[in-house]
Amino acid sequence: MKRLPMALGIVAVGSVILAGCSAPAENGDGSVTITYTNFISNDGNEQNLQKIVDAFEDANPGITVEVTTLPYSDYGTALQTDLAAGTQSDVFDLEYANYAEFQANGVLAPIEVSDPSVYRQSVLEAYQTDGTQYALPSSFSDVVLYYNKDLFDAAGLDYPSSDWTWADEKAAAEKLTDQAAGVWGDHQPVSFYEYYKVLAQNGGKFLNDDGTAVAFNTPEGIEAAKWLTEKSGTVMPTIEQGQGTPDFDTNLFKDGKLAMLHTGIWVFGAVADVPFGWDIAVEPGNTQQASAVFSNAVGVSSSSKHIEAASKWAEFLTSSDTMVDVRLDSGWELPPISDDAKLSVYLEKGAPENRQAVFDSLDGIALPPVAAAGQTEMQDIITEELVEAQAGRKTVEDALASAEQRINAVIGG
Amino acid sequence: MADTAQMRPAAPGLLGPVVLHVVIIAGAIAMFFPFLWTIVTSLTPGAGLSVTPALVPENPSLEAYWRLFAERPFGRIILNSLGLAIATTLAQLLTSATAAYAFSRLPFRGRGVVFAIYLATMMIPLQVLIVPLFVELKTLGLINTYLGALLPTFASAFGIFLLRQAVNQVPRELDEAATLDGAGHFRIFWQVILPNIRPALATLTVFAFMGSWNSFLWPLVVLRAPELQTLPVALAGLQGQYTTEWDIVMAGSVVSVLPMLALYVFAQKYVVQGVANSGLK
Amino acid sequence: MSVGTLGAGLTTPPAPARTERRPRRSRIRYTLTVLAFLLPSAIPLTAFVLAPMVSAAWVSLTKWNLLAPPVFVGLDNYAKLLSDPKTGAIFLHTLYYIVGYLPLVYFGGLALALALNTRLKGRSILRGVYFLPVVTSWIVVALVWRWLLNPSTGVVNTALSWVGIDGPGWWADPAWAMPSIIIASAWKDLGFVMVILLAGLQAIDPELLDAARVDGAGWWRRLFSVVLPLLSPSTFFVVVISLINGFQVFDQVYAMTGGGPGGSTQVVVQQIYDLTFRYGAAGEASALSWLLFAVVLGVTVVQIVGQKRWVTYG
Repeated sequence: MKRLPMALGIVAVGSVILAGCSAPAENGDGSVTITYTNFISNDGNEQNLQKIVDAFEDANPGITVEVTTLPYSDYGTALQTDLAAGTQSDVFDLEYANYAEFQANGVLAPIEVSDPSVYRQSVLEAYQTDGTQYALPSSFSDVVLYYNKDLFDAAGLDYPSSDWTWADEKAAAEKLTDQAAGVWGDHQPVSFYEYYKVLAQNGGKFLNDDGTAVAFNTPEGIEAAKWLTEKSGTVMPTIEQGQGTPDFDTNLFKDGKLAMLHTGIWVFGAVADVPFGWDIAVEPGNTQQASAVFSNAVGVSSSSKHIEAASKWAEFLTSSDTMVDVRLDSGWELPPISDDAKLSVYLEKGAPENRQAVFDSLDGIALPPVAAAGQTEMQDIITEELVEAQAGRKTVEDALASAEQRINAVIGG
Repeated sequence: MADTAQMRPAAPGLLGPVVLHVVIIAGAIAMFFPFLWTIVTSLTPGAGLSVTPALVPENPSLEAYWRLFAERPFGRIILNSLGLAIATTLAQLLTSATAAYAFSRLPFRGRGVVFAIYLATMMIPLQVLIVPLFVELKTLGLINTYLGALLPTFASAFGIFLLRQAVNQVPRELDEAATLDGAGHFRIFWQVILPNIRPALATLTVFAFMGSWNSFLWPLVVLRAPELQTLPVALAGLQGQYTTEWDIVMAGSVVSVLPMLALYVFAQKYVVQGVANSGLK
Repeated sequence: MSVGTLGAGLTTPPAPARTERRPRRSRIRYTLTVLAFLLPSAIPLTAFVLAPMVSAAWVSLTKWNLLAPPVFVGLDNYAKLLSDPKTGAIFLHTLYYIVGYLPLVYFGGLALALALNTRLKGRSILRGVYFLPVVTSWIVVALVWRWLLNPSTGVVNTALSWVGIDGPGWWADPAWAMPSIIIASAWKDLGFVMVILLAGLQAIDPELLDAARVDGAGWWRRLFSVVLPLLSPSTFFVVVISLINGFQVFDQVYAMTGGGPGGSTQVVVQQIYDLTFRYGAAGEASALSWLLFAVVLGVTVVQIVGQKRWVTYG
C-alpha cells in the first residue's frame, strides 16, 4: 500500500496549488480595472490590441484594461454562458447578427459617444436602436469581386468595372469557363450572407417592416436565388466538386483556375503572392448596386459596475487615432472611421491596385435583415434551402416557398 | 509472448499468415493516411486545405512549428494540458478502481440502482450541462482555476464501468484465499484486485488521459485567462474569423497527437507485461 | 459464476446475507468500508454531474434565452417537442447511425483485436497505427473521408467504376450521407474497440485455449466456445458505451455534413447545441436532452437486464 497514498497526495496537493489562482481583486485607490473579452485580436493581432490598450491606459490614468482573447469559432458559446451566469466582461465583442437580440434583452448599456462624427455613419447607425447607441463598430470589411487578369487577357475580355451588371458578369463567366481545363468563370457561395445581398441587388426585400414575416418569395427573390444557385455546375464547381468546403474558393483562385471570386477583403493577404495579375471591383448589381458589409462591434455590459470607464475604453478602441494607426499599419481589419484622409495609407498599400473599390462599395450597402426573433435559425434555414436548390433536389421556387413557411414559423413569435 | 491467450490465424499453413499480414498492413496504411496528410500539410508553408490531399510537401519547411511556439505561449499551454491530463488520469484511476471494487465485491442494498445512477451520468449531453455547471462553479469561486477544470472529470462513469467489468473477471477464489490469510477489503483491493486488472488500468490510463487532453468545451468555458489555456482551445484559436492558416493548425494537431500516441504505445506494453506478472496462468 | 451482477441488483433486492447476520459493530465497519470505496467517486459525480442534471431538469420547464431571466412554462417545451415532426426525424437519424455503426465497429474491432493478438511481426507498431485515427481530430478525418467518398472524383467511386459499378453520391446524396458518416465513424473508432477487446483478451487464461486445442477444437470452435464467452464482459462494455455515445453522436456529423444534405443527417445533440447556444432556446434544449436521456436510459436498462443471458464473469 505504498503508492496509493502518494497518488492521493499528489492529487490533493495539486488541487490546492491549482486553486490558488483566482480572479483579481478590486483596486482600493479609486482606480478601476475593466475587463474586455474579444475575438477580434485572436489569431495574430494580440500584440496589436495590446498597443491600443497601452495607449488607452496612458491617456486614462486610473483605468486598467484586462483583456481576454477567445477563439472566434467558440466565442459565442463562451459569451452566452457568461451572459447566462452574469459573468460577462465590462466590454465584450459582438457581431451584427447578435446585436438586436442582445439589445432587446437589456444586455447592452447605452453608450454616450463624445464625437459620433468620427465614425462612418452607415456602420455606426447599424448599432443604434430608437436613436440610442448600444454598441460601437470596431472594424468593418466588405465583399468585392476579385478577378484574375491573366485569364481575362487570355480570353480577350475587358476587366470587370464598377458599372457591370449581372448580365455582364454572366456573359464573361460563361466565356471564361473551360471545364476540360478545370478553369471556372465564377464563384459565389450559396448562403444567407450572399442571398440577402443579391436580393438587394435585385431590388427585393428580405423581411417585412417589423421583421415578423419574410418578403423574399417574390419574382425578384426567385430571380436572385437563381442567380446564386444556377452558377453551380455551369460557371462554378458543384458541391460534389468541392464547392463549399473550407477555403475551397480561395485555393481555386490562388491556383489560377478561377476567373472571378466573390469574397471579402480579408483574403487580400492570402492571395497577395499569386504568380498572376489580379485586382478587385465593386460587385455587380442587377437593378442596383448593393454590397455586404461585415462589421464587428463592442458593447458595454448593462450590469457593469464601471459603465463610464468601460464606455471610454469602447470609444477609444473603436475611434482613436492610435487604433487607426495600429490597424492600418498591421493590415488588421479596416477601422470604421469617416475621415478618408486617414485611410489614404490603406489605398497605397499595394495589390490589389483598385483598393478604392473597398470604399466605393460602401456607397450602396445591403444591411442584413434583422428578425424580431430567431435570427440565427432564420439564417440557417435560408442557407439550407438554397443549398437544396443548388444541389437540384428542389426547384428554387419550392425552396423559397419552404423557407418562407419555416422562417415565418420561427420569427413570427 | 507465449503466455497470452493468442488465437492463431484461421487459415491453415503458410497462406494464412501471409494473407493476414497483407490485410493488416493494407489496413494500417489506410489508418495512417490522414495522419500523413496532417504532417505533410504542416510542413507546407502557406498551405491551404486542398480538396485533394497532397502526399509530398511542396517546399517542405518547419516554419509552421517554429511559428507555433514562437508566436504563442505554447510551452505554457502544453504544460497546462499535461498537468490537467495527469491530474485527471490519477483522479480517475483512484475513483474508478475504488468504485469498481465496491460494485463488484461489496454487496449492499440498492447497489444496482446506485450503479444505474452512475451510468446515467453519461446519458445527458455535456452541451446542456455547461450552463448549469458554470453557474455552480461560479458560486464556488472556481471559474478560471485549474480545479474548476478538473473537478467535473474527477470521476467518470466510463472508467468505473470499465474497471468494474475487469474486477468482475478476477476469480473470486483469489479473494477467498486472501481472506483466509486474514486480509481485509483494503488489502484485497490493493494486493489482489489491482495487480489483476492491470490491462484495464492501462486502458483507462489511455482513455482518461485522452479525454482530458482532447476536451474542449468545458476548458474553453471555465479557463479564460490566457495563462490557463489548454491545447485544444489554443488550437481552435488558430482558426480565424475569416481565414485559417492550415499549416499552423496542422502543426498544432501533430504536436497534440504525438504525446497521446507515445502514451498509448507505452501503455500497450504494460498491458502485456501486466498479464505476464499476474500469475493468471 | 455471475455474482452480484447489476441485473440482479435492478430486478430484485440484493441478497443481504452477509450484512444482516453480523453484529452491530461489524455492520458499521462494513458500511464505513463501502463508503470509503464509494465516496471518492460519489461525491464528485453528485456535485458536478448530477447537480447540473437537476438544474437542467428545472431549465427544461422554462423558456430561457440565456439573456433574460427564465420564465416558468411547465411542460410546454416537452409538448412542443413531441408535436414537432423534426423531433421524430432527428431521433430516427440518430438511431439510423447507431444501427449502422455498432455492428461495423464491433466486428471490425474484434477482428482487429484478434489479428493483433497473434504473433504478428511489428504488432506493437501496428497497434499504434490502428490507434492513430482515435487520436486524430475529426476536422482532418472528415476532410479525408469527404475526399475518399467524393461522388465524382473520389477514390472509392473510381475503384467501383473499374468493376463496372456506378458509385452513389455518398455525402452529397441525402440517401447516402448517413452511411458515409457511419463508415467514417466506424473507421475512426475501430482502434478504440480494439484497445478494449485487446485488454479483455489478455485476461483470458491461455490454458483454456490449449485445453480446447488438445480436445481437437478448430479455430472457429475455439473462438465461439472459449474466446467469445470469456470476452463477453468486454463486449458488454463496448456495446453499452457505444450505444450511450452513439445516441450523443455530434462531432462527426458537424464535421462531415453539418446535418445536410437536406437535413438528412441532423441528429439530436446537434439540435441541442443549436437550441442552447445559437437559437436562444435553452429550455427546449434541456427538454430535448431529457427526452434523449429517457431513451438512452431505457436502452441501457434493457441491456443490463438482458446481460444475464449472455455475459459470463470470472
